[in-house]
Amino acid sequence: MTFLQDPEFGDRIITLMAALVLVLQIAAVGQRWLVSSIRIFAVQSFLLATIAGIIAYFNHAGHIYIVALLTLILKAGLLPWLLERLVNRIEIRREIEPLINAPLSILIAGCLTLVGYVVAESFYHPEETSVRAALGHNTLAVAIALFLIGFFTVLNRRKALSQVLGLLSLENGLFLAAISLTYGMPLIVELGIFFDVLVAVMVLGILVFRIREAFDSMDVSKLRKLRE
Amino acid sequence: MILLWLLIVPLAASPLAFFLRRRPVMEVVNLAAFAVLLCLAAALGIQVLRSGPVSLWDGFFYADALSALVILLTAFVALVCSIYAVGYFRHEERNGVFQENEAVGGGNAVPKLREYYALTPLFVFSMILVALANNLGILWVAIEGTTLASVFLVMFYGRETSLEAAWKYAIIGGVGLSMALFGTILTYYSAHQVLATNTLAGLNWSVLVGNAAQFDKPTMRLAFILILLGYGTKAGIAPMHTWKPDAYSEAPIPGAAMLAAAVLNCALYGLVRFYILSAKCLGPEFASHLLILFGLLSMGVAVPFILVQKSFRRMLAYSSIDHSGIMVLGLGFGGPLGILGMLLHMTFHSITKPLLFFCAGNVQQHVKTDLFREAKGGLIHSMPLSGAAFLMVTLAVTGAPPFSLFLSEFTILRAGFRGGYLVLAILFIIFLVAIFSGFLIHIANLVLGPDPGLPPAEICRWKNSSVVGLALVIIVMGFWIPAPLFRLIQGAAGIVMNGR
Repeated sequence: MTFLQDPEFGDRIITLMAALVLVLQIAAVGQRWLVSSIRIFAVQSFLLATIAGIIAYFNHAGHIYIVALLTLILKAGLLPWLLERLVNRIEIRREIEPLINAPLSILIAGCLTLVGYVVAESFYHPEETSVRAALGHNTLAVAIALFLIGFFTVLNRRKALSQVLGLLSLENGLFLAAISLTYGMPLIVELGIFFDVLVAVMVLGILVFRIREAFDSMDVSKLRKLRE
Repeated sequence: MILLWLLIVPLAASPLAFFLRRRPVMEVVNLAAFAVLLCLAAALGIQVLRSGPVSLWDGFFYADALSALVILLTAFVALVCSIYAVGYFRHEERNGVFQENEAVGGGNAVPKLREYYALTPLFVFSMILVALANNLGILWVAIEGTTLASVFLVMFYGRETSLEAAWKYAIIGGVGLSMALFGTILTYYSAHQVLATNTLAGLNWSVLVGNAAQFDKPTMRLAFILILLGYGTKAGIAPMHTWKPDAYSEAPIPGAAMLAAAVLNCALYGLVRFYILSAKCLGPEFASHLLILFGLLSMGVAVPFILVQKSFRRMLAYSSIDHSGIMVLGLGFGGPLGILGMLLHMTFHSITKPLLFFCAGNVQQHVKTDLFREAKGGLIHSMPLSGAAFLMVTLAVTGAPPFSLFLSEFTILRAGFRGGYLVLAILFIIFLVAIFSGFLIHIANLVLGPDPGLPPAEICRWKNSSVVGLALVIIVMGFWIPAPLFRLIQGAAGIVMNGR
């Protein structure tokens, strides 16, 4: 069982999982069923929690265990549950045709991944050839790609709830960047961010519900009354 | 200790208003809390002037002249808005605004008022936390907190348009602030190798500023761009300003005034803290060029929308976009003059802007519309006080002498010439003049002219006292700035220049 102590092994697993997270994100771009999107988000968060756990284990960083546990409970458990309940209550299950259709969206997501790698390149200093730098390089690229694809999802989707999911996956990208670059922010900052994300989802959930009541639809593109 | 009280007072006022639920009691709780807050803020300012930065809990909370200035302005705006709010909401209640909205989920009066009076202290609490947090992560958490508390203020009336505005505000704000969070993470990373610490202090501004020169430069560059986009969204600089006109015209007047006059400062405060780090790490030029670009762009975007504006509530929002542009531009011109001009502008803007909102609110409550076309002009005949104040504050807010905003805009202009930005400074003047004339024509048409035969507006002590009081402060500030306040502004400018 010596490989369990080998940090290089840990780094390989992390890179693999980060790649999986990215694949899931691209799958979410093409997804039209809201419930499936929510479940993809849940699995993605679960993977992120595992990555955090692995980083905590191999680097003996106790406080990241707490972060991993919180991610597991909040992002992989509580938030998807809340969102699914919301979907059931407002009885809208499918995203209507997004502004850009699915195949083209996936292509754009692929391009954004490339952009992520190009940006991450500037952080890579070959003179520090430690494994650590290489790991940061790879996961940072994935994190930036997640961030950009989340951004794209918010712009592209027309249902209010899908925009919330885009915002959440954007937040997941930030989380990945924070834990892979610096072993996480200081604990109290992480706690504050978790708290904010939770409150933000609740606020947005209330808004989605009220929009549904007022407009009898969740289509944000119908929000067109306020013009110059 | 004073730092804790600054946070405890608004935090305690919120549940107090929530559980006491009787209207007069809620009003008193709000007024008392914000009056105490203003005294505390003044005391903090004096303490900072006397004995330098105050910190608490190993530097978790930290207040220097810059934080003290922002706290003082926030407390001032909160107090005048709470005075005005009493009269404003009583008027709304008498006119059955809350009952009308019941059909679309607006609810009746007391729960609505409870929502306002319980949320406002929370809103103010997060703004004070923005200025007191030493840790840049906590700063981000607090700015996000101001968004979350104010989303409910934007959807206060529960109309379809309010929901639309609130949605726009929440999503654009959320995406923008996530960029700021990314910037914060990258700043932490670029400092990580220098400080080599995983503790809380690794994100403390007072620690970072001492070592900023050794930070990883490419990372810091990207970090600053993200921070500028992120906190710029919150400050409403173009092209991330699109939530502003909707949010400002849908929120109840006191809430909108707080968004325009206080949240703006908090967002710029966050930006300034990172500007100091970036100037130390990369030299001031890198940040300057970006800031000048976004500042002038914001002013330029505001010009056409002010010239052809149909609604005076939306016009106020474009004025706010213009002013955040001016402040960002002042910071961008840089040098001692530019930075002093920016901080002076922040101070004078926070004092002047609420009155503009109050006058617009009085007019809107009187003529029951916010469109120039339907208001028909001649308002000075039916509401002499608000009409006159509206004209005066229009001159003040567009930077006509002798009002104080002229002084700060002139300082920024001089900074532009001194920095060698000749063309840009002339562009700045053109934008200012265009906005001045557009604003003045619209408001003069609204206020002056023949009597359209409206009944005289009812006289409300609360509304009038806040309008008269604030107008007096603005006039006095045009000729005389209290010496301690000016010293505080100078101290803050010194911090932005030198980092301490």
